[in-house]
Amino acid sequence: MDEGRVSRRNALRYLGLLTASAAGREFLASWLPMQLVRGDEHRAPVTISGMHHEIQEPEPVVKYAPQFFNADEFRTVEILAAMIIPTDEAPGAKEAQVANYIDFVVFSAAEFEPLLQKKWIDGLAFLERESQRQFSKSFRDVDQADRVKLLTDMSAPERNPNVKHDGFAFFSVVKDMTVEGFYTSKIGLIEVLDYQGMNYMPDFPGCTHPEHH
Amino acid sequence: MTTQTIYDVIVVGSGASGGVAAYTLASKGLKVLCLEAGRMIEPHKDFHNHKPPYRWPYRGHGKPGQYGKLPQGMEWKINEWTDQLFTIPHDDPYALAPGAKFTWTRLRAVGGRTLVWGRESGRFGPLDFKPKSLQDGFGEDWPLSYEDLEPYYDKIEALIGMSGGGEEVYNSPASKNALPAFNARCGELLIKKGAAKLGMKTVSMPLAVLSKPYDNRLACHYCGACNFGCDTASRFSTLEVLFPKIQKMPNFTLRTNAVVNRVLMDRNSGKACGVSFIDATNNQEYEVFGKAVVLGASMVESLRILFNSRNREFPQGLANSSGTLGRYLMEHVAFNQLSGFFPELAGRPSTNDDGPGANSLYIPRFNFEKNNKFLRGYRFTVETGCSMGPGPGAELPGFGSAYKKRIKELYPAAVNIGGYGEGLPFEWNFVEIDPDGLTDRFGIPQVRFHTNAEYDNAFALRDEMYGQMEEILRVSGAELLPYEKRNPYPMGSVTHEAGGARMGDDPKKSVLDGWNRCHDIKNLLVVDAAAFVSHPEKSITLTIMALAVRACEHLMEELRLSA
Repeated sequence: MDEGRVSRRNALRYLGLLTASAAGREFLASWLPMQLVRGDEHRAPVTISGMHHEIQEPEPVVKYAPQFFNADEFRTVEILAAMIIPTDEAPGAKEAQVANYIDFVVFSAAEFEPLLQKKWIDGLAFLERESQRQFSKSFRDVDQADRVKLLTDMSAPERNPNVKHDGFAFFSVVKDMTVEGFYTSKIGLIEVLDYQGMNYMPDFPGCTHPEHH
Repeated sequence: MTTQTIYDVIVVGSGASGGVAAYTLASKGLKVLCLEAGRMIEPHKDFHNHKPPYRWPYRGHGKPGQYGKLPQGMEWKINEWTDQLFTIPHDDPYALAPGAKFTWTRLRAVGGRTLVWGRESGRFGPLDFKPKSLQDGFGEDWPLSYEDLEPYYDKIEALIGMSGGGEEVYNSPASKNALPAFNARCGELLIKKGAAKLGMKTVSMPLAVLSKPYDNRLACHYCGACNFGCDTASRFSTLEVLFPKIQKMPNFTLRTNAVVNRVLMDRNSGKACGVSFIDATNNQEYEVFGKAVVLGASMVESLRILFNSRNREFPQGLANSSGTLGRYLMEHVAFNQLSGFFPELAGRPSTNDDGPGANSLYIPRFNFEKNNKFLRGYRFTVETGCSMGPGPGAELPGFGSAYKKRIKELYPAAVNIGGYGEGLPFEWNFVEIDPDGLTDRFGIPQVRFHTNAEYDNAFALRDEMYGQMEEILRVSGAELLPYEKRNPYPMGSVTHEAGGARMGDDPKKSVLDGWNRCHDIKNLLVVDAAAFVSHPEKSITLTIMALAVRACEHLMEELRLSA
């Protein structure tokens, strides 16, 4: 499984190649003292210090505090994100803290894209109204099956473009931002999708399936 | 008291055109001053090509709306990896006439847009230089032929270092000085087999990326992030490949933060005698003098300098006796890609498909038969496999665990197909200095675009391309996701803008002659894409560079003879 990746031996070979050329030496000099680091974690490759490689991401010291949504709204955002990308055999939006990302991006939209803030405020209000109308409770207190029903209704135009739903625009924003936030997180991109790129490879084998050649 | 230095040549710009011009002239011993509007770049500090999205505050996308609106698929141009290199439109705006669209990507730094360019490096073919006489009577022929430029293609390929592109295809000549092609990904091989059933040839993509060590540079390490810069200089840039060869020469001077605003003219001789520039660090204006001036500031900037150099003899812009300056702007016919997936690759373990950062294969133009639907032709590229995004599954309807599992299943099976068509030159696609007086941050009059890429031929090309792309995916065994047909993207969107000071034999219909010299001012050259007469479906940078070498070697000979 690790064949295409820079193994310790290959990394050393790679460094040998670097030092063999004048340009390589000059290039290396910019990151001395040089360190080869072997990651033991899942998907942590051998890497070279100074190359912007991800080794171990330190946990933030301060817990993220929502800057845009109030506590109730933020809880709704957490519920929505976890409905789009739930935790199953693999981690989901909850573990990847997608709600934090959404809050941060929506908060930051004030400068150039304030419409995004309005979409969220209006959308969350819509969700509450629908929830009260259909289930006589806040969306946060509705049970999961009813939540799924509501989101399924809102997303109907996805499956049939002839159908209209007042909540579809909001559903799309929630889905887009959750997908974006999850699959650009380390958990979504590396752990779940197993993206192996942005890495050092001594060679690029291309397709390794004999049947496709 | 100091005497003013008279350089042999003043080169404006340090990217594909200016950088190659400066190298060509300085490496042969001429006294060259190269003026770059931006700063020096230090790759190990300024490039972030190994930084994953989750290390950026906005996961690489920037603050919402921060970079303005770019057409879908063009978001790679400005992002958190590269925004320190680019000029952000709302920080320093340019003007658009009512209804006009133009996506102007400005990168002011040593190396210009070669720092983050797409690296496709195919040659134009014999028909591309003679579209009027050898294809269909539309537009104008170039004042040179493929055979005239061929030796310079050979030279520039050897200089920049490239891989692939070794197969000869009708009107898409093979690269001659190239390293072995990169290996193809599974999806690319499936497309190759499918396209063959339709009689379309799929060949290795000529890329200015090293598949083997070359010229003291390391081979590609396959991180796939070339669009964010390259910390090992394994893809060509003028910054890392050409400037190191000349920077220690006593006859070469590079001045950064020098924003050129005008070409200076000698009243008596009618020749160019230098340029004036504003130093971006102190806003002071300076003048420098040379025996010849070479503009390679990028298509729009070179045109802007000529317009802003208007004087008594040339009230409509310098060297504009023809009235064609700023006109006949062109860009590739481009629109959204089609996405899909290969069922036979679904559910397999992920692989590292980043490779050389671009597709290893492509489908060159194949239709040269006359048809009554459109002029010229197009080509296709495909991107396949695991990428730095969730892939085709995310585009499907639904949410929840089943949706998430489908994303994972289809992740290694992704395929995107896109294409570029030949853009046509029209007089009414033009740029001028903004008549309402917009200036840039240095007070230099800014341009206004009058450009529209939504013309009949573009729509006709587009319609056939959509159909062909669907067909290619279908015969290759891929399932296509639903898509919307888009109008052709605004000019500049592909960053392949060209024209505005076109070459030609007739001084009444062109700005430049066959050696990139202004018809009106023979010691003033324009060596960037402004010189282009037509805009084939191929990428344009290799041809910009080959033309720059040819023009500068000719200029050297002229200077030698006049000495």
